[in-house]
Amino acid sequence: MASKNNGCRPEEHGFSRRGFLTATAAGVTASFSADMGAIHGLRSAAMASELKKQNKRVILLWLAGGASQFETWDPKPGAKTGGPFRAIPTNVTGIHISELLPELAQRMQHTAIIRSLNTKIADHGTGADLMECGRVADPGFKYPDIGAVVARELGRLESKVPDYVSLYTSTEGRRKGTSGFLGARYAPMFLSESMTPPNIVRPDIISEIDHHDRAALRDVLAKRFTASRRNQEVDSHTSAYQRVHGLMASADLFDIEREPESVRNRYGSSQFAQQCLIARRLVEADVPFVKVARAWWDSHGQNFETHQELCADLDHSMSVLLDDLQERGLLEHTLVITLGEFGRTPNINASLGRDHFASAWSCSLSGAGIRGGVAYGKTDNEGQRVVEGEASAGDLFATILVALGIDHKHEYLLGSRPIPLADFGSNPIREVLA
Amino acid sequence: MCVDLMHLLPRFAFIVFGSLAFTGVRAQELLPPQAEITTVVDHYITEKLQSRSIQPRTIADDATVLRRTTLDLAGRVPTAKEYQWYFDQPETVRRDMLVDRLMQSLDFDFHLRNSLDELLLANRPHDGEFREYLLWAARQKRPWDQMFRDMLAARQSDGAEKGATQFVSTRVHSLDDLTNDTAMLFFGVNVSCAKCHDHPLVEAWKQDHFYGMQAFFNRTFITRKNVISEKPFGEVKFKTTEGEEKTAAFMFLSGTVAEDKTPSFADDERKQLEQQIQKLERDENAGYLISASFSPRRELAELAIRDDKEQFLAKNIVNRTWLRLMGMGLVDPPDQMHEANPPSHPELLAWLTRDFVANGYDLRRLIRGIALSQAYARSSEWTVDETPPAASTYAVASTKALTPRQLAASLLVAIRSPDNWPSPEDSTAWNKQRIDLENHADGWSREFEQPGENFQVAVDEALFFSNNDRIMNDLLRDGGDRIVGKLKSIEDVSESIEQLWITVLNRKPSDEELQTATTWMQREKIERVDSLRSLTWSLLAGPELRFNH
Amino acid sequence: MMSSDEPATELSAAAPSMPVAVKVEKTFGLPAIGFCVTQGEAKTTLFVGMSDFAIHRIDLAAEKIEAVPISQERHNSYVTGLVRASDKLVSGGYDGALIWWDLASGRVIRRVESAHSKWVRKLAISPDASRIASVADDMVTRLWDAASGDLITTWGDYETKTPHGFPSMLYAVAFSPDGRWLATGNKTGIVLVRDVANGEIAARIETPVMYTWDPKARRHSIGGIRSIAFSNDSSMLAVGGMGQVGNIDHLEGSSRVEVFRWQDNVRLYEIEDNKLKGLVEALRFGPGDAWLAAAGGDNSGFVTIYRMDDGKLAAQEKVGSHVHDFVFGDTPDTLYVVDHNLAAIVKLG
Repeated sequence: MASKNNGCRPEEHGFSRRGFLTATAAGVTASFSADMGAIHGLRSAAMASELKKQNKRVILLWLAGGASQFETWDPKPGAKTGGPFRAIPTNVTGIHISELLPELAQRMQHTAIIRSLNTKIADHGTGADLMECGRVADPGFKYPDIGAVVARELGRLESKVPDYVSLYTSTEGRRKGTSGFLGARYAPMFLSESMTPPNIVRPDIISEIDHHDRAALRDVLAKRFTASRRNQEVDSHTSAYQRVHGLMASADLFDIEREPESVRNRYGSSQFAQQCLIARRLVEADVPFVKVARAWWDSHGQNFETHQELCADLDHSMSVLLDDLQERGLLEHTLVITLGEFGRTPNINASLGRDHFASAWSCSLSGAGIRGGVAYGKTDNEGQRVVEGEASAGDLFATILVALGIDHKHEYLLGSRPIPLADFGSNPIREVLA
Repeated sequence: MCVDLMHLLPRFAFIVFGSLAFTGVRAQELLPPQAEITTVVDHYITEKLQSRSIQPRTIADDATVLRRTTLDLAGRVPTAKEYQWYFDQPETVRRDMLVDRLMQSLDFDFHLRNSLDELLLANRPHDGEFREYLLWAARQKRPWDQMFRDMLAARQSDGAEKGATQFVSTRVHSLDDLTNDTAMLFFGVNVSCAKCHDHPLVEAWKQDHFYGMQAFFNRTFITRKNVISEKPFGEVKFKTTEGEEKTAAFMFLSGTVAEDKTPSFADDERKQLEQQIQKLERDENAGYLISASFSPRRELAELAIRDDKEQFLAKNIVNRTWLRLMGMGLVDPPDQMHEANPPSHPELLAWLTRDFVANGYDLRRLIRGIALSQAYARSSEWTVDETPPAASTYAVASTKALTPRQLAASLLVAIRSPDNWPSPEDSTAWNKQRIDLENHADGWSREFEQPGENFQVAVDEALFFSNNDRIMNDLLRDGGDRIVGKLKSIEDVSESIEQLWITVLNRKPSDEELQTATTWMQREKIERVDSLRSLTWSLLAGPELRFNH
Repeated sequence: MMSSDEPATELSAAAPSMPVAVKVEKTFGLPAIGFCVTQGEAKTTLFVGMSDFAIHRIDLAAEKIEAVPISQERHNSYVTGLVRASDKLVSGGYDGALIWWDLASGRVIRRVESAHSKWVRKLAISPDASRIASVADDMVTRLWDAASGDLITTWGDYETKTPHGFPSMLYAVAFSPDGRWLATGNKTGIVLVRDVANGEIAARIETPVMYTWDPKARRHSIGGIRSIAFSNDSSMLAVGGMGQVGNIDHLEGSSRVEVFRWQDNVRLYEIEDNKLKGLVEALRFGPGDAWLAAAGGDNSGFVTIYRMDDGKLAAQEKVGSHVHDFVFGDTPDTLYVVDHNLAAIVKLG
């Protein structure tokens, strides 16, 4: 096994992992020591980018299980590995995608495809960790995923809406997402059982006034304890309660019945489409990051049948979403990503399936900060290897950050250890950035 | 952020001047083996505080000591009757009597079981068998070395130890996980860095060590019928950073290599065995593999127990037990036990380890000793403006979030009418109710998150307490068996408030709190019971209940 | 590319009234996936539609057995349907096209590019070779004049979407031996038997077990009716697919056959086999309808013989990786099987 430094740094092991947060006066939300100023926009050197960052949002369409690049963004019709589906031209000359995505083919002006991901990890859990965090896990601590980073960089401290919402309503491969060392403040609001967040509605049995009053009483009585403790866990408890009423007020955002029927019909009845509509409502209300997971693309058997169904769902839902965002003037501020944990094998197995494959696969970026109508990177004729523009998970992570106006080289301080937002040595893909 | 240089200096000196082995401290330099654990703990803690001129916090008040001890030994807050009982005991012996009473009750067994479960199988789905094993082991006071042997090498056909095999079976599909977790959880050593290169900082951890550990697990597999088995052959090969191909020896972390007693097989014999193994892995109807005469996992268990040089097995559990009770390990982080990360109190760790081994790896003895020390009982309050001393000095007691099971059990104790709990002296009645409490708490515990490093309470929890039906309809129900019902029956407002504080927060209210609560109860046009419910709620949702302090 | 298996064992060459064994006599590798097979005048001449977009000829009587494309010309996607009408071959594919080929020269006689607006799944030819039926995922059945290539009629009657809102598929089609009826089977387990003369629906039979929809874990479906066959006396209809599946990422359901006395909509047999699992991709009744041959697979292929007197298993054997189609050979105890990566001569004994 060749040694490749996986980011392991000696000083991390020597020092205690604790105490990376300075003790603060009781009651104030503790956060990163050297970093807290940034979120209040006090970083003078980057004022311009601060303005650019404002109002940027992300909708991540997570194709859980690993969608096939052959049946989506990088078709190889006629190759032994190409499968039965053909490539169709799009409304951007020179770019062809799978015939399974006809509606998206007419909307390529917004979209950049990256065809040259080589991320090496073909395991669901670790692959998803890699793609969501932009780097291989460190044995010492947990990295935050893209949602948490965006929530932190683009969110507002006293926001009344959640910063990071994650919908994963199927059971297979269900993942919550993680804010890692950024702490629970940036943990996702996670919807798994239903499309309404749990516990967000006041119970009938208590009136609104009583609800507020008892919360105030709680705060008053809590002071005796919190005033005599210097402890970030205790502080987090306080700030969790501070956010309750603000979040309760955002419950309506999840209710698609509040949309006109014409809009609901346009999206249609598929669960994924409805969740895309919720995502639009959320970003419209300034939620910085929404992840909508569409499980489960893991077509080890019957790959073509599965993609017929799932691509139809993706094609329609994402097309309507892009149109909807554009019509509302939101698309230039919203980055829409399609991504999974890996792609699928060129080889077609005996069940007419494709297996896991992380050596040459695709993702797409549309909207904010993106140069649309671009296909970046090339794979060989059979889709076995990347031949041009190889990109790592870190490169993709960096690209996403830069598209949002976030400096991918900016560093968090974990104890004394600096941690850049995008992995060491990763570079944003300039060709897909506006 | 400041690095505590004072804290660092003795360690630095230690590395530069000491050519001592890691455990380093020579036996003659330690306090004698006959000393009491409690005395030894306080001796070394105090010694360091004095050497740094650090003034520790005073001993916490009785109510706090009662609550903390009950949480740490029984996994829950005390009942109002236990509160009363504590103050009824003579002052000089009440802590001893408390610890003895708790350690004899089912509480202790349940909580030890839960603590070990959280340590060993935290985020892995597993069925009840592992917990059953842990409870059985706790109840019969099974020594830790035997438990270690159970978990690593019990045959599935063995009796009550059967559930122990889940430590291995939940990890059998990932050789890396099995290797890393065993090293981390049983030996306090996270060697995963050493997989790709010799550990950058720790001389002692080379690739040989990582793959040496892995070699012990390499032959383990699971049959289709979920029986853990070991192949009679199989090697781990790896490439060094220089590109050299090596075969790993069965090397324990101490550097000791186990003799490889693998029998040799003729080619066709081996092929046949391989086929048999494949069949076992896939076919439900395959038979059994005759167990290998040489079992690498069993060898590992024996090596670790016999290792009297480094004593990883003992030292690790001593450190983790200390961590659980004191809030921070003597070695921190607890999975970085190596010479570049020395303990904060090396003599103390060495003495406790020696004592642990000499007394048959007895967890109860260790827990009792720590829980009765002065160091354990210090106050956790800090009100002055300056930065508190480093946690590793133990000058201030730690404040730590309750585990999900502690929180669940505590909530269920807190919301129950104090009359409904038996007297602490009636152990039979108490144990009976404790079983119900444990089952009930099991369900509630799923609503809460297991605290890890840098734990932060998620807003989900606040929303849960604020809006979930079960809080109002179940916990805060106006029933005779509930605290709300009980409070309703107390005429005098002050008395009811005091009863509430003792039941939920395990102490009497301050004057200011009494004032605030009385004002709340006297709000006009609001039903008394509603005010009682919301007042109770505000304590249940508060930080004081939520934390061990 | 071609390699023989061990020489044939002693098996009876007489027509087995009831086979008790299935044995793979010989296999030879294929250059691509074989989806559909038909025969020339000589039964030992096979024509196979494959995933390389071509039709290959395989002469089993030749000294050297190999698969050779019949033409330079090809479809633009997988060839999934193939029938012979006297001296012509007619093929259908995922490109939605139907192509008429001169059998002897391989020349393309006629190419109907948009025979269907979506992927053609199968072709069937009437017993008198006058009509060709095609089914495709546009959910229509089309009837063609075999000689002229004219479209005779189009039949709908299938929903284009599954009950769960996803695009549906129309997989299977078969003529009855008496030429009167045409049966089709779709993704969601609906069989329609039509009167060929006027298109009227004579029977509607449901086999919903063959369609697995997973609302909770993976939120899509798998399965469908993959094969359909009339008995020799046209009175029975066998329908093949797969039983319910837990993990729809794999073909891990039992292989499933349902046999009906279709005119009365009476189900005679409901057969599930969880030993050799997966889809039943092809069905043929044996002589006198005494038995039914079913072939298919998951990652392994199988040929299974079921008795038609009691619906029980008579014999079965693993064959290759996944059988897509088969025909009866030059002797009634022989099957020629095309599979994911090989072709095989299979003997019944």
